[in-house]
Amino acid sequence: MSHACTLNVNGISYPLQLDAGRTLLTVLRGELGLTGAKEGCDDSECGACMVLVDGRPVNACSYLALQADGREITTVEGLAKDGELHPLQAAFLDEGGVQCGFCTPGMLISAEALLRRNPDPSEDEVRLALGGNLCRCTGYQKIARAVLAAAPGPTS
Amino acid sequence: MSAGTYLQPASVDDALRLLAEHDGAALVAGGTDLVVGTRQGKRTLPETLVAIHRLPGLDGIAEDGGALAIGALATHDAIERSELVRGRWTALADASAIVGSPATRHVGTLGGNLANASPAMETGAPLAVLGAEVALRSAAGSRTVAVGELWAGPGRTTAAPGEMITGVRVPAPAEGSGSAYVRLEYRRSMEIAVVGAAALVTLAGDGTVADARVALTAVAPTIVRSPAAEESLRGGRPTPEAIASAAAAVHDAASPISDVRGSDAYRTAMIEVIARRAIDVAARRAGGEAVPVPATMTVGGTR
Amino acid sequence: MATAAQKKFIRPDGKDKVTGLGRYTADLTMTGMLHACFRYADHAHARIRSIDASRARALPGVFCVLTQDDVPDVRYGPFVEDRTLFARDVVRYEGEVVAAVAATTPEIASEAAALIDVDYEPLPVVSDVEAALRDGATLIHEGWSGYSASEDVVREGNDASRSTIVKGDVEAALASADAVVKERYVADMSHAVPIEPHAAIAQWQGDRVTVWSSTQVPYIARSGVATTLQIPEGHVRIIVPHLGGGFGGKCEFHYEAHVAALARATDRPVRLVFSRSEEFIAPDHRREGQVIELETGVMKDGTLVARRGRLILDNGAYSADAPFFPQLAAMHAVGPYRIPNVSVDASLAYTNTTPSGSVRAPTAPQACWAVEQHMDSVAAAIGMDPVELRRRNILKEGDTTATNQVLEPIGAAETLERAVELIAYGRELPEDEAIGVGCGWWPSFGGPSGAFVKLNGDGSGTIITGAQECGTGAVMALPILVAEELGMRPEDFSILAQDTDAGGWDAGASGSQTTFNNGRAVIEAAREVRAQLLELAEEELEASREDIELVDGVARVKGSPTKSVPITTLAETAQGDRLLLGKGSGSPPLTPDVDASGCTGRLGMETFAAPTFITHAVRVRVDRETGVCRVLEVAASHDCGVILNPVGAEGQVEGGVVMGIGMATLEGSIVGDDGRQRNPHLLDYKLQTAADAPPISIAFVDAPSPYGGPKGSKGTGEPPCVPTPGAIGNAIAQVTGARVHRLPMTPERVWAASHGVDA
Repeated sequence: MSHACTLNVNGISYPLQLDAGRTLLTVLRGELGLTGAKEGCDDSECGACMVLVDGRPVNACSYLALQADGREITTVEGLAKDGELHPLQAAFLDEGGVQCGFCTPGMLISAEALLRRNPDPSEDEVRLALGGNLCRCTGYQKIARAVLAAAPGPTS
Repeated sequence: MSAGTYLQPASVDDALRLLAEHDGAALVAGGTDLVVGTRQGKRTLPETLVAIHRLPGLDGIAEDGGALAIGALATHDAIERSELVRGRWTALADASAIVGSPATRHVGTLGGNLANASPAMETGAPLAVLGAEVALRSAAGSRTVAVGELWAGPGRTTAAPGEMITGVRVPAPAEGSGSAYVRLEYRRSMEIAVVGAAALVTLAGDGTVADARVALTAVAPTIVRSPAAEESLRGGRPTPEAIASAAAAVHDAASPISDVRGSDAYRTAMIEVIARRAIDVAARRAGGEAVPVPATMTVGGTR
Repeated sequence: MATAAQKKFIRPDGKDKVTGLGRYTADLTMTGMLHACFRYADHAHARIRSIDASRARALPGVFCVLTQDDVPDVRYGPFVEDRTLFARDVVRYEGEVVAAVAATTPEIASEAAALIDVDYEPLPVVSDVEAALRDGATLIHEGWSGYSASEDVVREGNDASRSTIVKGDVEAALASADAVVKERYVADMSHAVPIEPHAAIAQWQGDRVTVWSSTQVPYIARSGVATTLQIPEGHVRIIVPHLGGGFGGKCEFHYEAHVAALARATDRPVRLVFSRSEEFIAPDHRREGQVIELETGVMKDGTLVARRGRLILDNGAYSADAPFFPQLAAMHAVGPYRIPNVSVDASLAYTNTTPSGSVRAPTAPQACWAVEQHMDSVAAAIGMDPVELRRRNILKEGDTTATNQVLEPIGAAETLERAVELIAYGRELPEDEAIGVGCGWWPSFGGPSGAFVKLNGDGSGTIITGAQECGTGAVMALPILVAEELGMRPEDFSILAQDTDAGGWDAGASGSQTTFNNGRAVIEAAREVRAQLLELAEEELEASREDIELVDGVARVKGSPTKSVPITTLAETAQGDRLLLGKGSGSPPLTPDVDASGCTGRLGMETFAAPTFITHAVRVRVDRETGVCRVLEVAASHDCGVILNPVGAEGQVEGGVVMGIGMATLEGSIVGDDGRQRNPHLLDYKLQTAADAPPISIAFVDAPSPYGGPKGSKGTGEPPCVPTPGAIGNAIAQVTGARVHRLPMTPERVWAASHGVDA
């Protein structure tokens, strides 16, 4: 049985009819064609599917799409604005924090969630905030540096 | 992954009515256990889902007549960050702060954690030592049970079909109390307790232990208290020797199994170590020392 | 040393990746596409009595079910042809494919796969390598002697490949040594774990098939499809979208033919996407378990005089590229040290477990973990500091190896000194911390490789290459090499790669070989274009080509900077009637001579061409009561020749070190007596998280290698995970006083070793 809902993703409203069991990830990647969020595991252990729902990081692979009805969803595709890379995206490139890139969308989303809440994190706070995002390529050092470089710093 | 019907009640009463009307309907809050379990093939998604994540008024964390009242939909993240919880019900903050990953903590709820009834759940042992009572409601009425009475076995609770956990009430610890939760973890994120222990220590004015409670994680089919450890602590001073001897008494309650996370022999040895650390931190906090939350990252191997 | 341009290099695929717009294989869909699902063996070892797919075929939405009866009856394998696409008569491991389904949705495909009725007669399961080699052991392949195989592979029953290295007289040397240390180590199976699971999509056009695949080795995948489906290789085109990591797990030909066969049977495009648990159990490229027995003779002054070794490696149920592992592991059992008397014997045992294959520096981290801990035990036996023991024995220029290879100028000793200096070895530490040191080595793999370089009419360039980017940045950095030859900027070049119809043959993202071989190819191709540009410039500038240089986007007369013409102008001129197009392959560097007459089972590893040397020093804290270890700091020094792309090279070291920490502490598969992995998921197969990974400081020796690749570079991708586990083991043993003889050194094993408990 399908249910009507509206997903607001990166500022665009999508009216949809969805079966109850659909995860947010399959809808983003399928119906909406937003394949930035990835599927890397079966059990919310890799973080490649991370998106923001009302500003909070969520493993889209284990979140029912209907639960996000009406909420503000941000995927990695929503970070760059008007053709300008988001500071985190630019920092990931500058610092060499991208290798295969499969974890990158989830990393960026978790980092964005952190910096929205804490604009001046310590390196350990960065590493703990990225603790739900596995990367097999980089060893995390350049990713952590990139997040620190993109952090706005203390608010006066 | 398929489920038939998705229902989104507007109130607790609505939710209870839907639960009563739909046989086998399941509640979903954060979905972190339900959906993951389905994806892993451990279960199929129930035919009817009653999504309660938006029910108003169930995510509160507030002081109520000296007690702590937490709504079933309060997230681990909110609990971890609550100054109220950190200040007086510290063991619970210790636990919520280390559940899964940041995303798990943002989405996962206390009510869901309790209902999932995993013997390895982080919040169970703290609630057990803090004497929490769980509020259950159904279309027929409401009742409260001591948290220890909620769990019936791995993944099973004593909640009747049609009953829903609406919140938890945790009494104020007596003056001179400190509490802590410590788990054995192999890495600093995305972990689940290999074993864990919570302790509440209440010191009398003369520095002796007026009351003590100890509960254990992942060493029995449910979270269990250790009466022997508690008895051992009462009346004496919380010296390192006394704490060690109390921790050595937890084996009365521990009957761990072997699995991929550890053998029964290792868990048996570790529950004593972890219980000692939890009691130690609780006693230090009772004595006024500010041991940072989460205690696991202060006293454990991953510190 | 790196130029400024190299230092600030930003990889050209980076923007596609940070915006989330770049497509990986599982991100692609085709009109009318069906979804594939495999039915795996229900036993680790059983005879198939019958397969009945009628219930599956009757399920609405199912288009076809295939078994071995539906594909050519071809055995394949790179060294030993011991496997078929689908199980034939016998299943030999839990992840063996018995049947494949194509259906309209993944859910229906999965349901149909479960509806296939397979009747089995269970056979005894062999999951232990030592049991596999015992007399009377159940043969995993009863017909092994009838399989076609490379004639250099020494095989017998369950021993799929045996190799020995003998030099000098080990017996006599051990008898005369001041001290002899004998130890036994066991390493468990582990995995590559790229974050992107395997995916493939196949679509036929007439009698030609295109497969989009998450492979590291598109040309090898192409051959595999052609061989197993019995079609001409030219009818197979492999395209690799962005590849989400590999680490060896996506080397070899895997599932492209299954998907192509489904697509042919249904006249539809078909897509296969693995779950994480499938990624653990099915692909034939996990890192093999090893049993390693070492015996070393040493003199009081620290001179190593003899090393005896017996290694048994776990091949799993089928031979992927593992038959060369015994010889490689034997080389690592000696290590980067001068040892005049050597006798090492290594076997590769078939078991009923997931097949082994090259995973980042195959055999080395496990063997090196044993050898480097053993080195510390040897040092302890003579009361010598373990760094000093290494200092006195580490290979230097002019030394001969166990296979009598005479070494060129190398930086092994320098890596040792720089790593211990970086970590301030010998300083005071808290009582629960210690510094451990490990050294290792790894060969470069020279081989054929092809590329084209062309300049377009607008002055931009295109590099068309057979090389495969798996994330390391090796392909992304090829423009640096081309731009240098042509006096242009790296960003002037686009890259057309990962399409077997476009580039020349290449061995793929394997063996740390991309820069080493394809770098050579693109430089040669660029030099052809350079010659063409100079010819054009001669006419424009009325100067002879010897006097013209290509700098900053112009061709100019040396010494007269005003006499110049932009390369864009030359390119525009050329567009009319001359093609600015170069091709390159280049001859691989010379391979040093060896005298391997003492070796048997020779499969090429008797020579360590342009070897990389590595020393890692790690500071570890051990919670003695629980056995939980945390690596607090790593100093990594590498001699991988000249560094061409500093950001990329650092990225390889940092990622490799953290992979090594994972292997050392937590990453291991637990295999039950039934042959099944018990933790095929990421909660209980624990990778290091960002919160666990330590700060890593790096020192590159950065000196040219005479046998190296472009500009004296050496392989860089695989070595960084080699010595980390051994260094960590040494730190743990220093804190606890007890050595852990089992990998991974889990908290329980550390606790058990230090508390005298069997675990």
